[in-house]
Amino acid sequence: MMLPTRWVKIIKDIWSNPSRSLLVIASIAVGIAAVGMINNAGRIIQRDLYSQYAAGNPARLNIYISGFPKELAKSVAGMREVADAQAVRTLSASLIHSDEKKSDINMNVLADYQDVRINRYNVDEGAAVPGIREILIERISARKLGLKVGDQVIVEIDNQRQYKLTVSGIIHNVYILPMTIFNEAFGYISMETLEWMGEMPYYNRLDIVTAANPGDKDHVLNVGALARDRVIEPAGYQVSGIAIPGIGSSPGDHWAHDQIVGFVLILQIMGVLAVFLSCGIVINTVSALIVQQIKQIGILRSVGAVRSQVAGMYMANVLIFSVLGLIIALPLGLAGATWLSYFAANFLNFDVTIIDLPPSVAFLQIAIGLIMPTCAAAFPILSGTRIPVYNAIYQYGLGTRNKVGWFEKLLSKIRSINPPLTLSLRNTFRKKSRLIFTLVTLTLAGAMFIASFSTRDSLNAQIKQIEHYTVFDASLSIPGGANRSTVLREAMRIPGVTLAEGWSEAVGVFVDASNNESEEFVIVGLPYNSRTIDPVMQQGTWLQGAGLPQIVVNADLVQAKPDIKIGSKVTLKVGDHKRLFEVVGITSKHLYGSRIYMDSDSFTRLTGRQNQVDVVRVIAQPGKPGTPAVQEAIAQQLQERFKNAGLSTAIASTQHNFFKNFTDIFNIILMILMIMAGILAVVGGLGLTGTMSINILERTREIGVLRAVGAANAAVLQVVVVEGLVVSLLSWIFGALASVPVAPALAAVVIYAILETRLNFRYSVEGLFLWLAIVLVIGVFSSLTPAYRAARLRVREVLDYE
Amino acid sequence: MKSNGNNHGNHQLIELKDVTKVYHTPAGDFTALNGVTLSIGSGEFVSIVGKSGSGKTTLINLVTGIDDPTSGEVYVGGTPVHTLKEGEKASWRGSNMGVVFQFFQLLPTLTVLENVMLPMDLSSRFPISEHAERAMALLELVDLADHAHQLPSMLSGGLQQRAAIARALANDPPIIATDEPTGNLDTKSAESVIKLFENLVDQGKTILMVTHDSDLAKRASRLIEIADGKIV
Repeated sequence: MMLPTRWVKIIKDIWSNPSRSLLVIASIAVGIAAVGMINNAGRIIQRDLYSQYAAGNPARLNIYISGFPKELAKSVAGMREVADAQAVRTLSASLIHSDEKKSDINMNVLADYQDVRINRYNVDEGAAVPGIREILIERISARKLGLKVGDQVIVEIDNQRQYKLTVSGIIHNVYILPMTIFNEAFGYISMETLEWMGEMPYYNRLDIVTAANPGDKDHVLNVGALARDRVIEPAGYQVSGIAIPGIGSSPGDHWAHDQIVGFVLILQIMGVLAVFLSCGIVINTVSALIVQQIKQIGILRSVGAVRSQVAGMYMANVLIFSVLGLIIALPLGLAGATWLSYFAANFLNFDVTIIDLPPSVAFLQIAIGLIMPTCAAAFPILSGTRIPVYNAIYQYGLGTRNKVGWFEKLLSKIRSINPPLTLSLRNTFRKKSRLIFTLVTLTLAGAMFIASFSTRDSLNAQIKQIEHYTVFDASLSIPGGANRSTVLREAMRIPGVTLAEGWSEAVGVFVDASNNESEEFVIVGLPYNSRTIDPVMQQGTWLQGAGLPQIVVNADLVQAKPDIKIGSKVTLKVGDHKRLFEVVGITSKHLYGSRIYMDSDSFTRLTGRQNQVDVVRVIAQPGKPGTPAVQEAIAQQLQERFKNAGLSTAIASTQHNFFKNFTDIFNIILMILMIMAGILAVVGGLGLTGTMSINILERTREIGVLRAVGAANAAVLQVVVVEGLVVSLLSWIFGALASVPVAPALAAVVIYAILETRLNFRYSVEGLFLWLAIVLVIGVFSSLTPAYRAARLRVREVLDYE
Repeated sequence: MKSNGNNHGNHQLIELKDVTKVYHTPAGDFTALNGVTLSIGSGEFVSIVGKSGSGKTTLINLVTGIDDPTSGEVYVGGTPVHTLKEGEKASWRGSNMGVVFQFFQLLPTLTVLENVMLPMDLSSRFPISEHAERAMALLELVDLADHAHQLPSMLSGGLQQRAAIARALANDPPIIATDEPTGNLDTKSAESVIKLFENLVDQGKTILMVTHDSDLAKRASRLIEIADGKIV
């Protein structure tokens, strides 16, 4: 078949400059692949995670109860408002590794493993039901601990009694918080095994699915209160807590639902940016193509081509780029979606079922892949082909007939610098639309870069602020509580420890004038003059004395219960005890969630617990936590001493480890943000390189003149590189200005996605100046290649250029 | 053979009536042509001579429709070229006018044969199946068939100019307009190009040639001299 000559030209043009063609194809492919990756992965994650989550009938409510028999679950399930209820026994213990290291393990007992109706699990390997002296291990825990079916593990209860269990099955439970994130293993054992381990055979948690409005938080909590008031407490069992499973989730939502939504939102922003930048590179490269071929356009017109034919040729050229970009983007996007889906599956503990490219995502990619480059290229093509034949053939390359506007007149007044520098400065502003495009790309990159750093700094500042609430070397929880004097005496016996404090905790509710109860909040009793906390007060004052009816709440609580204000008189209820308090202060947020602080004496009066503490905090040098090694040593001794004293078998934590757990999660998000900022910087650099190349191409004859009048290589290089640096510097200024609104917005989105809270924003001056350094390097490197090309031109060929 | 601009051909193929062209530059207005009236008949071989800046290139650009007059009328084959829009002029040029430039202006990525086929492809005057055969015949006419599949950059200036002439003939236009066709060639190549033009005139083509070479100009059947934008 005979190919029309126009098509031959199009194909040869593409082939004649492979690096330029590859740049356009690659930039289209990257943008479209990003769209495919993000949309498809979002779809796969939501399809598989949420379907697997819903398939196992998730508990909408957990009611924590003092020991009860499984029959109580049947009674609660008989309520009209309850669809189903299931009894669970949970027990915290330690799992001893082969190398003698311990891990926390949450052991669960179900009443009937043959008929699991809520939070159903799947068997990956081995048995579905734990036999006597056997344990089913959740697969994430098994992977992290290196366990397989048939292995034997040692479970230690109360830091004293050790029991050897055989791993009989590896199960998959999508409802628990994975060990990779929360550092606690999970296993199922039978009630017989629990009894064999010396524990009483009772249950302590009810998992509930409500009959109606299972997603309505208030309704679900009301059903919990009804179950407590009508069935559980009348039957003689004490309810210690009613909670929605997850981390601030709505009932029935996956525990990380809000974080997933936030993360997908961040990825969507990245996708839009990627498409935008692809668009920019297409515009830039097609502009370069048009500039380079403007004379050819003139020739085409002189031999009879009408404008639509010429424009059609270049549009066809772009369309070929688009199709080639799509051919790469579709599988690349699918590969990206596969990676992201498996990354999420590993992180959130679900199975990816099918990796496919649904028509909706493919259509979206194809539509954007064809429309975006065509629309982006339309402007340079239409404006390039509009040029009259005479100008295209005889005028192009002079570039001196631009209108002299006020800005040029202003620039012409700058005379005290040397001529090459003046030339660089004036050259920068000669093609304003091109300059604006380059500035927009680099400004966006700069704003995102500074925003990423500001997000990191805001998180770090928040973590730093939390240090005010954790002014200790080590802390140890004392399950069930212990006598304050005993605890403090034991703690003070640890060599080096000069301060020990006992804190108490309870769960309570606010009761209003109509006797309505709020949701539950954690109440902390501590010495009013505690030296292991240095609260950052947002309003009011800290607790002012022992036994005063005062409370201090944190900003999280105010967010959850906006009617709480300084001076509010509130009634708190713990169990059957009620007392009136005055709110005297509001502290900053500190990642613990909602908290009510009161003096230990007030706490005793409210709860009726005499001199009992639940947590001990120790420090060697009050006000100055030690190094991680010092903290670790103190924690080890605290743990040993309390174990030996029979006070606690829990694992002591250090202030350093507390922060490390947070920063590990932050770092994943920040790494993605930094990669995004890096990509933007690279793309911005490519954009600047393209712009500088076009500028040099357009001014080839001027460079010839410069050479003819004696400009050496260094002078030509200087003219070009200084122009690149001026553009960089301008983009930095605009980037800095743009970062003022962009940085807090990004920080707010990211922090809310991670922490479900709004934190104070901190602008990163370090990021601002680091970007200045980067953008100057980009300016130099982006202009070096065109500059060297210009410096290599010989005077004769340059002056012949027409 | 000097002309005062009156018609010497069989009938008026090209007519310029009181044509003026003024270029507006930052340095001020420059009148390239000043009230030129001219008729050229079919089958003439016309040389336009003059000093640099006299307006000869402007004259040929107005005839080819590459540039527009500031005032006056330009008729080519009865077509009022001065009234045509840019796109209409391109289509019209594709069928009626072959243009040969001093610097050949061949498309560098296309072979010589493809360069010659390009105007046919743009005009759709000949069926696509005939393009290659016809282009090859034109290359044979300019004695370039052996170089048909080479890129322009592989040819000497003289051969490139022959290729440009073949391209100008692609759609069999009645007029060939050429601006300094030998300006970039050695004497031998220039001679062969002029012979080619003479052959084309013998075949009935009208040739309009701008040149500063008075010896070559004398080879034309008619000579028009321009000075300061006027025919003298």
